[in-house]
Amino acid sequence: MTARWLALLLLWWPSVPAAQEPSSLREAEALLETLVETYGPSGMEAPVRDAVKRALPEWAKPQTDSAGNLWLTVGQGEPTVVFVAHLDEVGFVVRGIAENGSLELEALGGIFPELWEARPALVHTGSETIPGVFQPRDSTGTLRADVGSSSRAGTEALGIRTGDTVTMPKEYVRLAGYRATGRSFDDRVGSAAQILALRQLDPRRLKHTVIFLWSTREEIGLEGARAAADSLRFLPVRVHAIDTFVSADSPLEPQAFAVAPLGHGPVARALDNSAVTPPAYLDSLVTLARRQGVPLQVGTTNGGNDGSVFGAYGVPDVPIGWPLRYSHSPVEVIDLRDLVSLAQLVKAAAEAW
Amino acid sequence: MRGTGGRPPVPLAFLLTLLLLLTSGLPVSAQSSAGLGGLVQRLAGMTAVTGYEQRMADSILALLPGATRDRAGNVVRDPGGKGRRVLLVCPLDEPGWVVGSLRSDGYLTLRRSPGRAIPGRDAQLQGARIDVHSRRGVLPGVVAVRSIHLTRGRGTSLGEFTSDSAYVDLGASTAAEAESLGVRVLSVVTLAKRPHRYGADLLAAPSTGRRAACAALLEAARAVGSSRAVVGFVVEQELSERGLTTVANRAGPFAQTFFVDGSSTVSTSTGATNPALGQVTRITLPVRYPGTPVETVSMAEVARLRDDLIERLRGVK
Repeated sequence: MTARWLALLLLWWPSVPAAQEPSSLREAEALLETLVETYGPSGMEAPVRDAVKRALPEWAKPQTDSAGNLWLTVGQGEPTVVFVAHLDEVGFVVRGIAENGSLELEALGGIFPELWEARPALVHTGSETIPGVFQPRDSTGTLRADVGSSSRAGTEALGIRTGDTVTMPKEYVRLAGYRATGRSFDDRVGSAAQILALRQLDPRRLKHTVIFLWSTREEIGLEGARAAADSLRFLPVRVHAIDTFVSADSPLEPQAFAVAPLGHGPVARALDNSAVTPPAYLDSLVTLARRQGVPLQVGTTNGGNDGSVFGAYGVPDVPIGWPLRYSHSPVEVIDLRDLVSLAQLVKAAAEAW
Repeated sequence: MRGTGGRPPVPLAFLLTLLLLLTSGLPVSAQSSAGLGGLVQRLAGMTAVTGYEQRMADSILALLPGATRDRAGNVVRDPGGKGRRVLLVCPLDEPGWVVGSLRSDGYLTLRRSPGRAIPGRDAQLQGARIDVHSRRGVLPGVVAVRSIHLTRGRGTSLGEFTSDSAYVDLGASTAAEAESLGVRVLSVVTLAKRPHRYGADLLAAPSTGRRAACAALLEAARAVGSSRAVVGFVVEQELSERGLTTVANRAGPFAQTFFVDGSSTVSTSTGATNPALGQVTRITLPVRYPGTPVETVSMAEVARLRDDLIERLRGVK
């Protein structure tokens, strides 16, 4: 009886016109879903790094440095150009375990605590993931997590220690049209764009050296990128941070700047709190995008980017982003078409600039 | 999870109801072995905003042999007969929101469901995944929140939030696109329900206390099918107890009423002004973090409540 019901159910299930979407969009979505549903708060990026490695083309032989950054060097000869997207996401670190078994938390990155309290939580011990909840706060006090234990010993018996990280469950969800929501699109979209570009790129046709980096601990001070910059020093001729363009494309945001609508293409992040793109480089990027038929918006937003730390060695930073709504919230929203276009632009910047 | 993506949305409530129907023929012992926890989790994952409880009532009706639905929408099992009348009753509804308007930019605005104003309830919407129950099924969406990067120099707290500040983002860019997805003014909106287990036996979800209490009563009523007590699952408790009043007026007067609920959600005045309910005794399931999206119950306590209700049902002569 049950089997018959299930058969009827399958027949009834709506047809899936997603198959009619361009293959590039379907490929981008599948990759992004995998990366978004992998957890990697700052300092514990290993699962995301492994996911990136698995997603790279077969010919790629990436290396991990002592800072946890993933490096892939493609092509040879001068000059050297660097692309960098970060692996980590915002979250919390366990700073202590209270007598009553609850976890005392400290934020990793910029967050509004209101968006985390009274929500499900996950504690990442490195070997397993333990569910709990972020406790509601009576006031604006410190955020804590409850893992269902009533004593410090009980919590420790679960394998939880100071230094473990805490996030909330996340899920990639397709919205209407080409929109999608999830947490940690910042910077899984950038990481995905670099992978998609590499899948389309023929390394034998590159005219010079291109280094693709997936960096660690961006959200807590661009730490991984700083280690990479100190390693490369004066070698690169330019760096492209492939990271979020925090957009004011929402009724809640002031419209003074950062107005980059979703679905209108990637954004040259020409000025932020950490870097200014040299005007000549910006013009070159705009020309490149036009030649390649890639829609490109130009804008200014807030935040810092990994490319900026290369500035200590005089390396021009030409960051490229995509418009993101509700940054660092559990419900970031993107338009998948912007990811596809961003990947095209990364490929073009590696091959033709 | 996949959402709509231009494809017809999946009517999750239909599927849940279907699953409940498929299992409704099982004997109680089989249901119990499948777990009271399973029933609690299923009910906690369902939606029954005040005034829009029909699908929940459908499921209860399918699971409770001998029950009927009255004109108010309550599900009641009334063995009839004369003598001392006793009622065991649990409310089905939960606070929620409905679509108030479709904006030209594709965002939806909201109106809170009628009933008690619960402090902080609207703020739960901010930056949350929500479900819009459209004419074409359940649509995933989110409620807009300010980007922390764009608030620099303007404070690091989100400040006060009410449902008037809630902009629902379905991914639509125009009102017509939202409408094509089946969204209308009055479409029901709730926080996305993802019952979350943690600890040894804890379950967290919005309104879980009430759902778990109703699951305990439902299991108890199924276990004692021959009870002389009237068993009811009532609608619109949050709106002046309209469902409960209807049961009292239709099936009463009762000598005694046992009002079963989660400890967080019991109105202090339940039945106090209705003599047709007789002596009202509240039986409450302890709840942790009441009224929040992680309202938590212990499955051991739910099982104890079920066993207590079984004894009470057997005790009604």
